[in-house]
Amino acid sequence: MISDQPLLRVEQVDKAFPGVHALDHVDFALYEGEVHVLLGENGAGKSTLMKILSGTIAVDSGHIFIEGREVGDLNPERAAQLGIGMVYQDLSLVPSLSVAENIFLGHLPKGHLGAVDWSEIYRRAAGSLEELGVEIDPRAIVRHLNVAEQQLTEIARVLAHHPRILLLDEPTSALSDSERERLFEIIGQLRARGVSVVYITHHLAEVARVGQRVTVLRDGQLVGTLPVEEADEDALVRMMVGRRLTEQFPKHISALGETILKVEDLSLDGSLQGLSFELHRSEILGVFGLMGAGQTELARAIFGLEPRALGRIFVEGKEVHIRHPVDAIACGLGFLTRDRREGLVPMLPIPPNITLAEVSQIPLFGALRLQRETETASQYVRDLRIHPPALDRLVIYLSGGNQQKVVLARWLASASRILIFDEPTRGIDVGAKAEVFTLMNDLTQRGVGIIMISSEMPEILAMADRILVMRGGRFTAEYQRGEATQELILRSAS
Amino acid sequence: MADKSSASTEVSAVQSRAEAHGISGTLRQLALRGGPIIALVLLSAYLAAATPFFFTLSNLSNVARQTAITATLAVGQTLVILAAGIDLSVGAMAAISASVAAVLMTQRVEILGIAIGPLPFGLGLIIALAVGTLCGMLNGLIITKGQIPDFIATLGTLTIYRGIALLVTGGLPVPSHLTATELKGYLPEPMIWLGAGDIYGIPVAGIIALVVALVGWAILRYTGLGRATFAVGGNREAARVAGINIDRTKIAVYALSGLMAGLGGFVLAGRLNSSNALMADDANLNSIAAVVIGGTNLFGGEGGVAGSLIGALIIGVLHNGLNLLNVSAFWQRVVQGLVIILVVVFDQWRRRRFLR
Repeated sequence: MISDQPLLRVEQVDKAFPGVHALDHVDFALYEGEVHVLLGENGAGKSTLMKILSGTIAVDSGHIFIEGREVGDLNPERAAQLGIGMVYQDLSLVPSLSVAENIFLGHLPKGHLGAVDWSEIYRRAAGSLEELGVEIDPRAIVRHLNVAEQQLTEIARVLAHHPRILLLDEPTSALSDSERERLFEIIGQLRARGVSVVYITHHLAEVARVGQRVTVLRDGQLVGTLPVEEADEDALVRMMVGRRLTEQFPKHISALGETILKVEDLSLDGSLQGLSFELHRSEILGVFGLMGAGQTELARAIFGLEPRALGRIFVEGKEVHIRHPVDAIACGLGFLTRDRREGLVPMLPIPPNITLAEVSQIPLFGALRLQRETETASQYVRDLRIHPPALDRLVIYLSGGNQQKVVLARWLASASRILIFDEPTRGIDVGAKAEVFTLMNDLTQRGVGIIMISSEMPEILAMADRILVMRGGRFTAEYQRGEATQELILRSAS
Repeated sequence: MADKSSASTEVSAVQSRAEAHGISGTLRQLALRGGPIIALVLLSAYLAAATPFFFTLSNLSNVARQTAITATLAVGQTLVILAAGIDLSVGAMAAISASVAAVLMTQRVEILGIAIGPLPFGLGLIIALAVGTLCGMLNGLIITKGQIPDFIATLGTLTIYRGIALLVTGGLPVPSHLTATELKGYLPEPMIWLGAGDIYGIPVAGIIALVVALVGWAILRYTGLGRATFAVGGNREAARVAGINIDRTKIAVYALSGLMAGLGGFVLAGRLNSSNALMADDANLNSIAAVVIGGTNLFGGEGGVAGSLIGALIIGVLHNGLNLLNVSAFWQRVVQGLVIILVVVFDQWRRRRFLR
């Protein structure tokens, strides 16, 4: 199946951004009909390589060959002509247009007199979606789809151009297990048709499931390329982080303290049905649910982001009225949102992003304490190893894991006693994940109570002291640490 | 995990790199933000060479006086635009504030059966500032509580404020020989001094604009409101999650814009020695142009007051220079529009190069 001549070959490709050597003379090859997994920590250069191949950024030096012939300057149009299609990590759909319009955006089929042929569009869009085996109405407006459906629409859009080389940048980060399986089947079918795939992921378990070969990058350099049969998880982790992770989930069990947060009868029309629970000092309370079970709404309601929510909330035994995040913060709560873009102000540097929650607590014309802000920021940049440690760097230029650390630093700096983490490891690499878990341990040892919402079963099983399972806006099961298994949780959730 | 010692050497190594970055960072900042200054210097140098009248004390103080009003309004506009808003009513707020104050300082009027006026200068100034602040606050309330886009809300109030100003003045300049039959036929001396006076040869209006800009800069840099303004304009949802009160922030920046418009209108009426309901009609577009030329992102979150000051000066110097060069008033408009576009195009191009 794998021929001698690579379909795509990259030789000594080099790219530097101000302050970062994103790719350092990297070699890479992709054969016809191969699924090649690209692994690496955040900031390792995976996305940069993908963007070079899709023509959105230019190389500083190096050569790119397709079927042995060198291609000069790549731009998005040229890459498309060469049969390279890319599905971006951040969705790039137009939310106000229909699924079909998005699929054919820029290539709307024209009928007589150059008018758009709508019936043809919907027919062909339905065909593309059917080919993917997904049930999405081509007339649906993208804004009304859930994230997984949007992701599949995005994939359908790229496949509509029949690419020979498909670049997938973390396509499963928003998908549920069954949708993930479906995507793997689709990739298998594409492969059988001779399409070659470059597949970026953070899930080590996906490597053997989907790929034939795997390439690991670290700090912009090539660490190595292996057939998946030789790549067990330990070896891959070692290659990615350059050190052996003794423990992926360094759980430290602390003695639970008294109740710090009590929620009674929390309801939100349609999505939360009278939820009651308690959280203790030093406890990690895991909340698991399939997509749309209401976990995110639960977090948002507690934090004052759903003004229509009903119910009573007690912090340290006293009833509190949280109508806006400013009240929640004043009560000692902190919230790490599922989507980092809801957490950061991209065009501000690191220090103001860290102190933003504190700023919300001072009066309108109250003075900022800039000297202290710089000290606080330096401390957290050092403690959390935020990279690069340049305080004047705008957070938009930080990698995903480092952005996550900046938001974490905000809630550490505001001395929150109750933290809500919604998918804290979403889209961050193994090394950063372990750092997040270590930090959670440190926090519980200091008496902080943590609500950890996660759809990653291994991490919730390893980290939580107690697990609540949600389905349809209700709790369907509660497990103590050690009681739960993946099967039990899944059965309660579905 | 790496062990502690190697981690700390790693950190100190990157820290020294970060310090080196700090020096080049300053140069980078200048290159990034210096564009409007470069444009102003080039424009002034050209005018100084082209006409002997440009670089004279009397002409420069004239430029300062003309620019002062635009600059004062542009400072408020900067705050609003940084919070991802836009204030189309600054000119109308300037006119209504000055007109209400001028009427009360020159006439005797009955409000709810109580006869007031003519009021002294100090009260007049306070009234102008209060009217401006109230109008701005109303803008903010309509936008936040009524959930109406900033553009539409201030487009509406722009007309309303002009209408009220016309009602208050009866459509006549204040003071005028028609309205001042029984009372003062002139505005208070100190008001005229604010608009047209000098301190050691420096126009008072220019000093006021500078002070207003300093206040605006200090608010943005040193207060919770300033930080909230950048956060709301930079990422509204993130600001909300961090506990920032978006409504309060927006109402505050619009109120400040109104306050500065009230002051600007008062000074303008002093300079013209008269107030009328239709004055400062080019102030909306000029203040927005000054902000944009100054490098503030029209969609919020990036920029500052200093740039807007330079932007106002570019507009003022250009206007003055074209007059000195005897360019017809019709062509002046064409040239001014072209310059706005060119400065922004150049600025965008330069930014893209430096951010790559």
